[in-house]
Amino acid sequence: MAVAVTMVRMKVAILRHSAKGQRGGTMAMGGTLGLVLAAGTIYLAFLGGDWPAAAYAVWMLGWIIGPVFSGGGDETLRPEFFSLIGLPARRMAAGLLVSAFVGVAPVISLVALAGLVVAATTPVNALVAVPAMVLQLAVFVLLSKVAVALLGIALRSRAGAVAAGVINGAVLAFLGQAWVFAVAFGQGGQIPEFVRYLPSGWGLLAVRGEYPALAAMAVLIVLLLAAWAALLSRRAGASRPSARGRRPMRAATGRGAVVAKELRTWSRDLVRNHQLTFALAYGVFFAGAPLVLGWTGMLPWAAPIFIIMAAAMTANVYGTDGTVLWLALMTPGSSDVRGRQLAWLVTVGPVAVLVAVAFTLVTGGPWALVLAAVAALLGGAAGLVPLISVYGLVPGTDPQRRTGNPLRTSEDDGALTGLAYLTLALVALTGAPAVAVAALSGWWGVLVGLVTGVLCYWGFGLLAQRRLAAQGPELLHLMRTGRRPDGRAAAGASYKLPDMPKVQRAIVITGVSFGAIPLIPQGVLAAVFISDGRLRQSWFLATYMPPGLRWPVAIGFMVLGLAMYGVSLWLVQRAKKKT
Amino acid sequence: MTSALEIKGLAKTFGENVAVDHVDLTVPQGSFYGLVGQNGAGKTTTLSMAVGLLRPDAGTARIFGADVWSDPARAKQLVGVLPDGLALPERLTGREVLTYLGLLRGLSKDVVAERAEELLSVLELDSAEKTLVIEYSTGMRKKIGLATALLHAPRLLVLDEPFEAVDPVSAATIKMILRGFVAGGGSIVLSSHVMALVEQLCDHVGVIDKGRVAAAGPLDEVRGSATLEDRFVDLVGAGSTAARGLSWL
Repeated sequence: MAVAVTMVRMKVAILRHSAKGQRGGTMAMGGTLGLVLAAGTIYLAFLGGDWPAAAYAVWMLGWIIGPVFSGGGDETLRPEFFSLIGLPARRMAAGLLVSAFVGVAPVISLVALAGLVVAATTPVNALVAVPAMVLQLAVFVLLSKVAVALLGIALRSRAGAVAAGVINGAVLAFLGQAWVFAVAFGQGGQIPEFVRYLPSGWGLLAVRGEYPALAAMAVLIVLLLAAWAALLSRRAGASRPSARGRRPMRAATGRGAVVAKELRTWSRDLVRNHQLTFALAYGVFFAGAPLVLGWTGMLPWAAPIFIIMAAAMTANVYGTDGTVLWLALMTPGSSDVRGRQLAWLVTVGPVAVLVAVAFTLVTGGPWALVLAAVAALLGGAAGLVPLISVYGLVPGTDPQRRTGNPLRTSEDDGALTGLAYLTLALVALTGAPAVAVAALSGWWGVLVGLVTGVLCYWGFGLLAQRRLAAQGPELLHLMRTGRRPDGRAAAGASYKLPDMPKVQRAIVITGVSFGAIPLIPQGVLAAVFISDGRLRQSWFLATYMPPGLRWPVAIGFMVLGLAMYGVSLWLVQRAKKKT
Repeated sequence: MTSALEIKGLAKTFGENVAVDHVDLTVPQGSFYGLVGQNGAGKTTTLSMAVGLLRPDAGTARIFGADVWSDPARAKQLVGVLPDGLALPERLTGREVLTYLGLLRGLSKDVVAERAEELLSVLELDSAEKTLVIEYSTGMRKKIGLATALLHAPRLLVLDEPFEAVDPVSAATIKMILRGFVAGGGSIVLSSHVMALVEQLCDHVGVIDKGRVAAAGPLDEVRGSATLEDRFVDLVGAGSTAARGLSWL
């Protein structure tokens, strides 16, 4: 146990230090979001039936797939730290496992697992829920660790990177579609029975009187721990993933050189290989899933989904490349942004067009809608990716300094995830005008798509270029140190909060980030639905309420949203006056 | 004659920590200038500000009279930089890095190909033709970095720790190239904390301590009758910790 205790202490110390800076904000934000989800899970546990089983299946998949998005999962303590101590692999794995329970994500998952107490059928079973919660959490954490370790090994070869991308994309796509189906058809009791028997449901089985499930979890934990220990010993000292390069560079201009460099990086960096296959697989499987029900209507949308997902995966392009930015700073006038845009388009564009044409041929339409979306989104994404990257830069770990976990491109995984979601939303917006016009007047939409695509590509690229020219040294410093420069240099680097106590800062960040949720969808939109008489609308809570409560709930949400903004604003103003 | 590099009043503060405190340095044309100081004395910060990689809080830097911040295009054309520990385009081979950078610098394709060939062979990197930079050893990274600094025929080289972690054979090659560069009329500023190396190579020296210039000028003036190392220890006033042994050994 001594090893485990030491590791836990070490992790607590590291987390305490990192909670102070910029990362503290992302941790607080992620934590709040997680608590909301946990509360939702406990609510589902009250509903009974298979709802909690489905919810825990989602938590489990989140643990497994999450690291793909968030840069390799929790790496506060790395196996490499201990490789010189000569610990036996299994003791090291056990120690790392215990320390893996320390952190924001495990605590939130434990809160969600409190639903097991709610779901218990008898008072005795409520007691059983306590060990069940712990075992279930251990299953989640270990599955996550084993998945990351397996992926790390897969990413040492191109075939592995591609295969992992396809599998991850497929799993995540089906997960997304499962929610859509459940909501769209509102089939309360019709969650497939097998969900109950997934490892994520074993805790529930135990608190419903099937005690062998506890033993099964214990056995699974031992097996996973052994697997993880074996994988850890393969990871230490792992060689960095990269493929050989041989094509001679034929570019003749500065911009051509940037394109050539980027295209080589796209094809040689196995992490980028993985990102792109992941995005493609996600698009294809997400749009293809309804084929199971015999519905082909979604199939042509594979290409637009692929484009949006590819943009989200690559939005931190400058951060991922790291301090190599110094070369661009030393060659003023070189067209780094334009070259990157072109390379992005050349990498994603042909595949997207091919998928769009092929799948729309299968369904026989709607041509105008799909082509309008593809044109607008390609231009929008190629414009937004460098722009988001220079404005929302998340400092990465330089490629030559990365550790055995190839997914780990940055230390600030929370910010990385946020950036991906932001990109999803913004890129999708760039497609909106073209799709709207195409829906109303057919082929005119394609023209609009081409025009907005070209405009986005040109305009956003220009903005990114200007930003890079004006703030290049600050961005380089941010990547070098992981910290934003103080004082005037931070002007324009994302809005800077005045100095205020940590708790207040967390409240402000939470209020500003999530105030829109109660105010707009749950408040304003829900009110619109109610006044329109449209009840039971997807996740608009007020529309599910009994008649007397509908308006109060919607108005209550609006007040809550306004209060979140108001309190944040008030705290900021007060802190500003003090300084 | 304008100086190759003229630094006036450069200052930089990170939070509470004053990294560089109004540094003035003049590097005459044709000189081989060594910048020495302890770890964290502010050498890297000073050099980064001098070449335009870090924005100073105050002060100016001119390269052959061209201000690095108001006339960056001309200043950066005249200087070749080897920063310490920054990334390169990692998924390119050495030759591809040089081709890429040469084209970015606006050189013609043929000139780039010719110079890349010569640099790779002189620096003995041509045997690793298929190796990506990310797989390079530390010494190879320094050499390819030096090649990128030399590629566009600059008149001033600014090198941050060019000999750190470089094996003796590679170091000899690098020294030979640097001496040749100065002999041909070029100017060099390099930072190091190896006194013997600076004494061996440089004709001018600047001692930086806690963000300030403790001494600067021609090597013989700065060191006087002592060795540079003794003079350095005098100037920066190293404590007595070095003399104390470890209690358990």
